Amino acid sequence: MSTEAVVSAIKESVATGMPLRIAARSTWLDAGRPVRADKTLSLRDDGGIVGYVPGDLTLTVRAGTSLLEIERVTREHDQWLPLDPYGSPDGTIGATIATASAGPLATGFGLPRDLLLGLEFVNGRGEVVRGGGKVVKNVAGFDLSRLMTGSWGTLGVITEVTLRLYALPSADRTFAIALRGSEKDMASLVHTIVVSPLTPYALQLLNPPAARSLGLGEHAVCLVRFGGNDAVVRSQVNALSHIARLEEEQSTIWTRLRLLDRDAHTTIRIVSMPQRFLAKSAKILGDDIAGIFTCIDPHRGVLRIIVGANGKNGDVGTSTIGGSIDFHKGGEESTEVVFEKLPPEVWSAVSPSVVADGLSQGVKRAFDPHNILNPGILGD
Amino acid sequence: MTQPSPASSPAQPSPAQSAVAERLAEIVGERHVLSRPSELLVYNSDGLPGYRRQPRLAVFPGTREETIAVVRLLADEGLPFVPRGAGTGLSGGALADDIAVIGLHRLKKIISLDVDNRRATVEPGVVNLRLNKHVAPYGLLYAPDPSSEAACTIGGNVAENAGGPHCLKYGVTLNHVLALTVVLPNGEVVELGSKVGERDGYDLRGAFIGSEGCFGLALDITVKLTPKPQTVRTLLADFRSVDAAAHVTSAIIASGIVPAALEFMDGATIRVVEDSIYAAGYPRDAEAILLIELDGLEAGVSADLEAVRRICIDGGARNVRVARDDAERMKLWQGRKKAFGAMGRLAHHLIVQDAVIPRTKLPEILATIHAIGEKYGVVVCNVFHAGDGNLHPNIPYNADDPGESERVHKAMTEIMRTCIDAGGSITGEHGVGLDKMGYMESIFSESSLNAMCELRGVFDPDRRSNPGKVVPLHACKEWNAVARSRLRTRTSPPAYADDDLPGATARPLEAKPTHPSAE
Repeated sequence: MSTEAVVSAIKESVATGMPLRIAARSTWLDAGRPVRADKTLSLRDDGGIVGYVPGDLTLTVRAGTSLLEIERVTREHDQWLPLDPYGSPDGTIGATIATASAGPLATGFGLPRDLLLGLEFVNGRGEVVRGGGKVVKNVAGFDLSRLMTGSWGTLGVITEVTLRLYALPSADRTFAIALRGSEKDMASLVHTIVVSPLTPYALQLLNPPAARSLGLGEHAVCLVRFGGNDAVVRSQVNALSHIARLEEEQSTIWTRLRLLDRDAHTTIRIVSMPQRFLAKSAKILGDDIAGIFTCIDPHRGVLRIIVGANGKNGDVGTSTIGGSIDFHKGGEESTEVVFEKLPPEVWSAVSPSVVADGLSQGVKRAFDPHNILNPGILGD
Repeated sequence: MTQPSPASSPAQPSPAQSAVAERLAEIVGERHVLSRPSELLVYNSDGLPGYRRQPRLAVFPGTREETIAVVRLLADEGLPFVPRGAGTGLSGGALADDIAVIGLHRLKKIISLDVDNRRATVEPGVVNLRLNKHVAPYGLLYAPDPSSEAACTIGGNVAENAGGPHCLKYGVTLNHVLALTVVLPNGEVVELGSKVGERDGYDLRGAFIGSEGCFGLALDITVKLTPKPQTVRTLLADFRSVDAAAHVTSAIIASGIVPAALEFMDGATIRVVEDSIYAAGYPRDAEAILLIELDGLEAGVSADLEAVRRICIDGGARNVRVARDDAERMKLWQGRKKAFGAMGRLAHHLIVQDAVIPRTKLPEILATIHAIGEKYGVVVCNVFHAGDGNLHPNIPYNADDPGESERVHKAMTEIMRTCIDAGGSITGEHGVGLDKMGYMESIFSESSLNAMCELRGVFDPDRRSNPGKVVPLHACKEWNAVARSRLRTRTSPPAYADDDLPGATARPLEAKPTHPSAE
């Protein structure tokens, strides 16, 4: 697979009127999103490093390159791409950008849109387009890179991306803090940790079922990751140890956390003002229902609810999911609900189109006038 | 305008022109519409004084409602316009060639500040520094800090996706804007992005940021605020050669330390700053200085400070001085931030570029820039964001001397070509505007430029908002066909006023690559 091959596949599709399902490892297709497509355009084999000058801390790769491969290549130069989307690390960078997928490290390093410098894609007419560039700062032209990020392949097939890298920190340590006691005690501890001047790479609050599943004991847990030079990590660990009892964990815990929803039928992300979930975190984490995992990133204001994990159905039918969302939204105007994963049969009923507004429709028509790229995946 | 003026004045507007001006005056009040050429002189350039375009009129709405009404009136009439903030831009992007300017500096309300959630919502005319002063008592800051922060507006920052010294660590405007309310050129009001920061669907907020006024006007902007770092330390390292400072810059970046800022000034710039009222105490005999700022938690900053100091000394720094207190820090920064203004001492005209290069190529490219300056007999002052590889070669010159202008023009073109050939970008933070349009085709293919035209077409199908900027008109092939058919179906003729004003056809300002001095 090459850019030319993508061009000819799209041109053929335009000629025959057969829509394409865009896929790499198909990891994200497990999310059950509806795609009306006759054929699959796979970028699975279109991987590889295009350009890497470690001194520039930038990396250009083909879209089919897996995150694991990027990790391997950059680690040789003591660098990394601090992007750890939920799901399997053998997912590809192209899909990560196309779906704007992030994970716990977004607390410290931002979202895919913040790490992306430029990309190449093939639009729905089979034209090769580049947005952004290969240097760390660039405002030349309108921002096609941000537009493509999170567009789920509906505006073009991403073939190559350029990313910003960071140096691997000399220290990178992870700790678990058990959140015991009354709801009030828990709330006060969480509040103290979160509003402190600590600058963690990642911080997640997990409810007891999620903690149990990761082997972190019977209580709700605060999982926190510090990185940087030895001095800054040591001082933060010291400071935190005055507030709570710390259990050091292997950093592989994060990979396992990313896979928490592997067997789940439903994953919902609710994004709100950070203080909102901070205030309610003890209550949310207090829920101990088998098969329902909740994870809160209090810095970003993100709550993930994973239903039906560990082969349990979570004692909830999909009909109650709506009720749960309403509870967490709480009539709050500025709350976004993102469905990461749903049983295929309920997608259209539960998830409204996210591209129904006039501008989004116009963008779709401009980039994919024949509606052949992943039609329906974001709704109509 | 209805103000009386001598009948014999050559600046007397035509009756039809007065008609639109009068209707605008009904919306915003008479004193907020300017239409006499003499009154409009101040709006005929931006921060890059080599370019001049005379607007037809200027209107200054005072509220969100007035802004929407103004845009709708112009939409009804099919008239083009240019949004303008403080006019500090450095790309000729805010110039209006015989069309209307919508000045937004009166929209200066800080609408809300949410300290706990670290967010602020502001009107577009709020000055960058004022927002920072407003949030500072709460231990917060708004990270993007263009050198023009004391004058430039948040709306203008959004239009240009502005950067600044501290963007090295904290990112540029697009990393800090969460949501916008925008009035599209057709008068429709839309919400882009989300105040909570993340949402499903196309990132139209991302598309709007940096669209240089071509996609419409922001009515309000919700930004993310950053907690003030616990500790800030500023180092000044001085060098006997540009090359040594360039190598040290590359070495600091390669070490993996991310300074809050890493700025470079060469000898020519140091001396002009030291001669000015912004004198910062830089060593006059140095050939280059690096201004390096580290921030974060005390323990981490101290360790990085030692590491950076070592890299500087190993790389040949004569001295590394650490500012003892805030007053000294401020002084060091003032020299850097006002360097551009200080160059006014050298000559009346100044041309500045904004190319970005891969950071490992800094030593080689600075040497090439020096050689180009020598070749054409021009003085190149380099003062730039070295940590990002974002160059700002400045050439002060006398525009009245055709021979010198010609040499400056050739030197800048060659510098730009060098940066493009190194795999760089033509602009890191100033925007394309008019100034760099001629280079767009050297970094983007026809289909990429066409895709940009199409994206613009979604926001502004009639191409009335800041026409003739960013993407050269002839690159918009598909789009031109659509525009022509729109014009054919138009029921009433475009009517700014009378005769030659470019209505919906928006007379293209074809790229006059690189050289403003002919204006």
